This record gives sequence, C-alpha cells and structure tokens, in this order.
Amino acid sequence: MKTLLTLLLGLLVLLSPPAFALDGDAILRQVDRNLEPESYEMYRKLINIEPDGRKKEFVLYSVKKGRDKVAALFLSPASEKGRATLRLGDNMWLYIPGVGKPVRITSLQSVIGGVFNNADILRLDYTEEYAVASAKEEGADYILELKAKTGAVAYDRLKMRVDRKTVLPRVIEASAASGMLIKTITFKNVKDFGGGIRRPATVETESPVFKGYKSVMLYSQLKRRSVPDEVFTQNWLSRLEELRK
Amino acid sequence: MREHGAHGAPYMDRFDVGLGAHGAPYSNLVGCAVRTALLALALITTHANAEEYSFDLSEIEKKTFEFSGYAEAKQEALTLRPDSVLSRINFPGREHLDRGTATLELAGVWNLPQAVFNLRTHSEIAHDQSDSVDLHRIQEGGLHWAPSHEFSLDLGKRVQRWGKGYAWNPVGFVERAKDPNDPQTSREGFVMAGAEWVKSLAGPLTTISVTTLVVPTHDDWNSDFGAPGHTNPAAKLYLLWHDTDIDVLWQGKGSRPARFGFDFSRNLGENLELHGEWARSLDQPRTEVDALGAVTQSSGDADSWLLGLRYLTETEVTWIAEYYRNGTGYSADQLEDFYRYADAALNAGGAAAIQAASLTRSGYGRANPGRDYAYLRASIKDPFDVLYLTPAISAIVNLDDGGFTLTPELAYTGITNLELRGRLVYTHGDHYSEFGEKPNRRRFEVYARWYF
Repeated sequence: MKTLLTLLLGLLVLLSPPAFALDGDAILRQVDRNLEPESYEMYRKLINIEPDGRKKEFVLYSVKKGRDKVAALFLSPASEKGRATLRLGDNMWLYIPGVGKPVRITSLQSVIGGVFNNADILRLDYTEEYAVASAKEEGADYILELKAKTGAVAYDRLKMRVDRKTVLPRVIEASAASGMLIKTITFKNVKDFGGGIRRPATVETESPVFKGYKSVMLYSQLKRRSVPDEVFTQNWLSRLEELRK
Repeated sequence: MREHGAHGAPYMDRFDVGLGAHGAPYSNLVGCAVRTALLALALITTHANAEEYSFDLSEIEKKTFEFSGYAEAKQEALTLRPDSVLSRINFPGREHLDRGTATLELAGVWNLPQAVFNLRTHSEIAHDQSDSVDLHRIQEGGLHWAPSHEFSLDLGKRVQRWGKGYAWNPVGFVERAKDPNDPQTSREGFVMAGAEWVKSLAGPLTTISVTTLVVPTHDDWNSDFGAPGHTNPAAKLYLLWHDTDIDVLWQGKGSRPARFGFDFSRNLGENLELHGEWARSLDQPRTEVDALGAVTQSSGDADSWLLGLRYLTETEVTWIAEYYRNGTGYSADQLEDFYRYADAALNAGGAAAIQAASLTRSGYGRANPGRDYAYLRASIKDPFDVLYLTPAISAIVNLDDGGFTLTPELAYTGITNLELRGRLVYTHGDHYSEFGEKPNRRRFEVYARWYF
C-alpha cells in the first residue's frame, strides 16, 4: 500500500505542470506596449524644479514610428521654440532654428539642461535597447534587471519595478556601468488617454548627481498615429510643425 | 481644460497615512484642531502643487498665425591696437571704443495646410563715441510649399547651412561667411528658389535626399553673392549610409567660381563624433601683394578641408577640436608682406592709402585669411549644480605664425525666455601677423536677449 502511494505521488509530480518561470522578455514587451503604442504622437511638458522651488517648463510635440524612429519639436518656451531633435536608432541630431543645420548629438547630452538628457526625451522601446538579465516577483511587483544591449545606450543598467496587475512600471533605477545610481524615475497618476491607452501621465526623475533637483514630465494627447518614414529625416527637422493638427 | 499631474491625490494619500500614525497621542480636541489645520494646509499645498503641475491644452494649440522674435541689448568695450593696419582704417586715432547695440528681430509665420509663409526681420541700432549706425534687413522670408511628404519647394530669401564643421565650412557654397568667433550667430539668407526630394529606405542606406537651388544675382538683390546677371545653380545630395551622414555638394560657375566637395559626420561612440569637409574651387581668382605694393592677380584650383571631432566627457565637458586648411589663404610671410605694405601705404596717405584700404576688403580682409588653423572649444553644462549655466572657452590658432584669439565666456539661461551672456575676446600675435593686426586687442561684451 505504501509503495503504491509512493508510486501514485511520484506519478502526480511527473504529470503536474512545471512551476511557471517568469518570462522577463514578455513582461518587458508588455511594459513597452502598455506605455505607448509602437507608433504614436503625443505632447509632453517637462518641468525642471530647482532646490529653491524655481521651475522652468518646456513643451514638446513628439512622433514615433516603429522600433527606432522618434522626433521631438519644442513648442515653448519662446527661447526654445522650433528646436527639434531626431533619433534613428543610435543616431541623434539636434536642429536649432538660428543655427540652421542639424548637428549630431549623443544620447548623454542634454538639450535643455537639468536631469533630462536626450535619451530621456527621445526614448525608444525598452526592448529595443535593453536585454532582461533577470526577472522575479516581489510582493505586488515584478522586478526586472535590464542590461544595455550596446555601449551607445545612455544607462548601462536599469532596475525596473513593474506593477503586476497593470504591467506598468512604477519605479526605474538607472545606473552606470560602474554601478553608480544615475537616476530614479517614478511613474505616477495612471490615466486613460483613450484608444485603449492607459498609462502614467506623470513621470518624476531625481538624480543623486543633481542633489535637490527634480524633473517632471507630464503626458497629454497620446494617440496612435503613423506618419511617413520621411518625417524621420534631417530634412524634416525644420518642418515638424507641419505634422501638428 | 487642464490636466493635472501626480501631486494631487497621491500627496493626499501620503498625508493621511502620516496623520493617522501621529493622531493617537493627542486629545480629541487638540487632535481635531491639528487635524483640521493640517488638512487645510494639505489642501492648500495640494492645490498649489496641482497648479504647479498643470498642463494647459491651450499651450499646444496650433495657430494659423504665429508671431515671435527677440529683443537684445548689448554693450561692448573694445581695447584697440592703434598701430594695427585694420584699426587705422576702421577706427583711426582711437585706443578705446565703447559701443552699445540694440537689436530687434521679428518673425511671423502663416501656416496653411500644405504651405508656410514666413518672414524674419532684423533691425539694429549701434552707438559709440564717434558714430551711430542703424541697419534694417529681411533675414529670411518666403514660401515653403510641400505637396507631398517627399517633395517640397521653396521660394524667397532662404538660409542654407551646408557642411559639418563648427567654426568653418569649406563647403558652405551658398551662404554668407560664418564668424568663427561666434559660429552660432544667425545669418542673413540669399534670395533663391529651391526644390527638395527626400526618401527613406530600408537597409544600410537609410535616407537619400536631393536639394537643388538657383541663387540668381541682380543689381537689386543678392548683389553681395557676386557679380550680377548669373543664375548660380547649386545642388546637394545627402545620404545617411551605415549611420554616417554624407553630403556631396556642387555649385556651378556664375557669380563665384565653380566649386564641389563633400562632407561627412559619424558618431564613433556614445560620446565621440567625427566630422570632415573637403571642397575644391576651380579657377579661383587670387590677389597677392608684396611688401612693396606690387599687386599680382592669378587664378587656380584651390582645395580647402576640415577635420574635427566633438567629445563629451563623463563630467559633462563638451570638447570641439577642428583643423582647417584654407586653400585660398595666405602664408604667414604673404600676410606679413601685405601688412608691411599697407602700413607704409597708410603712412604715405593719398592714393596708396586708398588702395591699401581697398585690398583689406579683398581676401586679406576675411575673418581668417591664413592657411592653417586649429580650433578648440571646451564648454561645460550646469557646473557646480547650477542649472542652465554654461561656461566655455574657445581658441582659434593660426598654426603658421602662432597668433591666436582666446574667448572665455559665460552664458546663463535660467530665467524663462531670457538669455544672458558675457565674453572676452582676446587676440595675440606678432606685429604684421594675422592676429597681431586685428583691430581689437581685447573686446569685452555682455548682452541680454529676451525672447517672445
């Protein structure tokens, strides 16, 4: 009887499905799609807040297409109006109306000063730039450890805390290859943008490099839109305003 | 309609948790009063924060008519070289000059479904101890018509910026000369008609575009482009190939000699960019003057080129370094001959002095008339945790004679729509060398520019 019971239990273990292993890549793909459609247009307000409470605000219009094409146009303040940036994969350009020609820039440079750099403004899908090194569950969250696929990516490592229920990021810690924490990005205020897009409308960024400073990004009018490929060329940097309706 | 950020409800939640934790020790009355006061404070704070983080949709509304511009007040203090040739011609008898300049630039845009009309005007009034001048011009303006996303036409006064160099552009065939000491200053365009076609592709050739231009010269317009009565065609082929920007450029013979060339720019790493330009002028006329004043006219092909890099360090210092070979420039000995002759001619006065002054407006009077130059610039963004502060220092060295100009500067853009900038331009060189003959030994300038 004892032997039969042991055999039955053994058979049960063999026939039972294996423990479900977390698929970090699938979670990251879902995070990407939950944050934004692959091709979209949107408006953002960037607010740099200094330790004494002073603020400087920038409003941008952005379009993205596919995996690696994104462009942004500054609408305000007046001193920045008409500035435009373009990213094609690892290539980035900045156009300043008075200067008149697009110049190549790098992902780590900042076109506006403060905590945000070009990679934050012209962000591609996380799956485009990062590989999942590890994934685990922790309370109500998934914890994804991401490693940059190339040296051209602004942050070498990301630790992403993802809400298991909504599969939206809650906090991302961005670190350099040395392990030094560069930024902490907090996602807040989940909002329905319509068209099935529901994501955080506020993203706050703080950096130990800029103690006491904070940057806030507010999202608005995020919509699916596919514009022609030619928009993502240097020729269109001075013409992005033509896309706005 | 306003959309509010995260500092509404989430802050209230955090506050309520804190109050609950501290509420127990208080008596009901005191606790109630404190609770009420803190709740009121929280509401005020919440309201203030919500106001702080608002995104008003009127800020993104597209306007049919747009109006913008800037007003600038600039003050300069110049320490002159009274014995230099250029100072004797431009500022005779002066050792110092204080100059104030007020500038107003106005821009208007009319957005139509497939077309954009724009106009940008530039007006300035300058006043110093001896003179007042004012100038008013149309910087650019005209029609841009885009019947499709691949094809567009332009007609009017337009600014072209060809080339990848920061301080110099040997392939800048259809633009006014850049000031290497202030390369980012906006410049006036030329009247032209242009057509542009662009196509995105899959594969290593990602983008291809062709730009064709005609820059006609007439007695009344484009007279400073060159001799009147020419069509002056030009074209540019742009390729983004294997992540490298490549331009092949051409300008036909007309008011200026025929020229062609190429440029490139490529990121070699996340922080390093490499760029270069090469241009050949065919039958480029050349004027040479020896120390006795004998003027020789000749012509021949001239090659000019530039190689440069831009590097961003981990400490946010951007370095720009360029070497420039000016194929139409003069050697240190040739420049010395000219300055010796001009000095003697100005001493003699009369027709000789007039001829010397005329020659300074030829090739000898260019911003950089020498042959070999190096440019170096270092700028740091937001140093000492001060946002929007950008100190920079740049140097231009004439490698043939060792003369140089050094420009430390400080810019601050921390106040919305206000740009403050101060810089000192210091030049050093031997007598009868390029920088030793510049009219200014030192120039200190400050300006405030308000954008609207």
